[in-house]
Amino acid sequence: MKTLIDFDWTVMAPELTIAGMAALLSVIDLFLHPNKDRRFFMWPTLIAIGTAIGFVATQWGKPAYQILADTYRVDDFAFVFKMILLIGTALVAVISYGAFRREKGFAEGEYYYLLLVALLGGMVMTSSGDLITLFVGLELLSIATYILVGMRKRAITSNEAAWKNVVLGGVASAFILYGMSFLYGLTGSTNLFTMKERLGEALTSGYDLYAWLALFLIVFGFGFKVAVAPFHMWVPDVYQGAPTPITAFLAVISKTAAFALMLRVFLTGFLPLFQGGGGTLVDEETGGRLLLTMAGLSMILGTVIALRQQDAKRLLAYSSIAQAGVILVPMATWGPFLFPSTVYYLVGYLFTTLGAFTVLMLIEGDAGDSKLSSFAGLSRRAPLTAGAMALFLLSLAGIPVTVGFFGKFYILMNAIVTGSPEHWAMYLIAGIMLMTTVASYFYYFGIIRMMYFRPPQRREGLRVPVGAMMVIGIAFIATLGLGLMPQWILGILGNLDWGAALSPVK
Amino acid sequence: MVVTGESIAFFVLSMMAIGGGMMMISATKVVHMVLSLAFSLLSIAGIYVLLHAEFLAVVQVLIYTGAISILMLFGIMLTKHHVTEEDDQSPRRWHPFLSFLGVGALFAIIMGVIYQTPFANNEEVTQSYSLEALGKAVFKQYVIPFELTSILLLVALVGAVILAKKEADS
Repeated sequence: MKTLIDFDWTVMAPELTIAGMAALLSVIDLFLHPNKDRRFFMWPTLIAIGTAIGFVATQWGKPAYQILADTYRVDDFAFVFKMILLIGTALVAVISYGAFRREKGFAEGEYYYLLLVALLGGMVMTSSGDLITLFVGLELLSIATYILVGMRKRAITSNEAAWKNVVLGGVASAFILYGMSFLYGLTGSTNLFTMKERLGEALTSGYDLYAWLALFLIVFGFGFKVAVAPFHMWVPDVYQGAPTPITAFLAVISKTAAFALMLRVFLTGFLPLFQGGGGTLVDEETGGRLLLTMAGLSMILGTVIALRQQDAKRLLAYSSIAQAGVILVPMATWGPFLFPSTVYYLVGYLFTTLGAFTVLMLIEGDAGDSKLSSFAGLSRRAPLTAGAMALFLLSLAGIPVTVGFFGKFYILMNAIVTGSPEHWAMYLIAGIMLMTTVASYFYYFGIIRMMYFRPPQRREGLRVPVGAMMVIGIAFIATLGLGLMPQWILGILGNLDWGAALSPVK
Repeated sequence: MVVTGESIAFFVLSMMAIGGGMMMISATKVVHMVLSLAFSLLSIAGIYVLLHAEFLAVVQVLIYTGAISILMLFGIMLTKHHVTEEDDQSPRRWHPFLSFLGVGALFAIIMGVIYQTPFANNEEVTQSYSLEALGKAVFKQYVIPFELTSILLLVALVGAVILAKKEADS
């Protein structure tokens, strides 16, 4: 057996950078005068994330590598998801700069290093082949976000959000752990690849009910974590009560990390439960049925309830449920473009959602609430911001030349390709996706109508801080650029070795 | 089924564990909750002994029954605890019924699965799961999650402090 020294630990550099900076910031925080402004913590946070992005980039094109029986592994799957998480967190850190000035007693120093720790949890969730590490990563992300959600101590909505998040998130973690314990009892291993082999044997030797029970419990927990229906009840209240940058973090980074975890666990550990009778053929008669139901339900429920919202933050929360349903579609239908279509959509979702939440944050700071009516006349007060917001909403709705359109199109094609008369559920899910997309135009255009065709409530222009302006700019360029030239990123995604994530390192 | 001393001990201990948990939920005073929780955790330590996991049992008593319960009692003593347990006059009367239905269904499913599945009746050798093996597993194979857990604990501590701290300026 290899000893600890024999492994090449440099592959862990991104995680070590983030963890090191979080520790360093907590020490600096300790020695600074209590009344000193801690806004500048954003800079070290950004430096750490930038360094980590650099380290992740050096892993580009390298073969997969694992440490200590897959408790940590780097492969192309981890590479892509880590990039998404790092870029997303960097943007969240930038919009947080100075966003809490009016908040009395806000622990701003802690805010930044908790953000880093949450990011660390997310990164761990993307790069491990062992259930224990994956679960610890999930808890690291969850617990850090529970605290971040409740950091506006004086706002009653924030308290309520934190409370709901802790209780329901805790229940979800308990279900995941319960499912994992059944799985461990059945296979005797926490390693996903060993688990896959033994689960296949267990299915044929009379233990199939146990395997299904484990899958059921784990799906229950994962459903909460990625916020898909029917496990979505916590989403609107938590999204509304959390500080807006953290809402963006929950909607983008937490969700992406949870999807990475879900993909890895279902496509490796639980693979035998998703495979049909024909060996490699995957059909909805198996585990896919659960995912198809969840995807369809969240698209329908998210869209229908969003239609009735009068509050922009709640509207975006319900829209994020519908979006989660869309992201679940490739995983539920499989098909040849499973990974590229999921990742492409997630990249687009990252930029558009972050952009939309940044604009929402500015409106909220300006008007004091996040009602739809606060958007009235934005086009006259801040034409550029209004234009960017309109583009983000068009992208979320899936109108052509935006990244959202191509993402949806790609996912739809992937679903239709897998469909056949026997697999009619794939056509059904594609139909639901089309219908909910059309229905979603109504509420996305509601905000655009407010911005362009209603008189403003105030005359003076909207104050846009430099950080927020940069994030809106980056998100605007990415939303439009990736929509106009999808081949640029698809070329990269197509050349990645996705199979490396699904098989043990040789 | 053969009634041995072991199975009797198991039944008594598990009833105590479940009973402690139920008392913890239904108790209205915080001190009672902590005591029933400690009771429940102690019974679980007994179950560990039955499974020949002596080390785990000792750790369970030390950390859960001892340290955590005492910590909670200290927390209660040192903080205000006007436990004004308002009666649940929630307008939705069907809530308890629905929760009961959900929990009952989950219980039925899990029990059904457990009883329908054949279990190999051979006895497992527990001697190999020694303290040494545990140490090797935690500090060798699982050293990465182990270290991450320490960050997790730090985060939980920081979170507890900043959420509970009273600001100087208030």
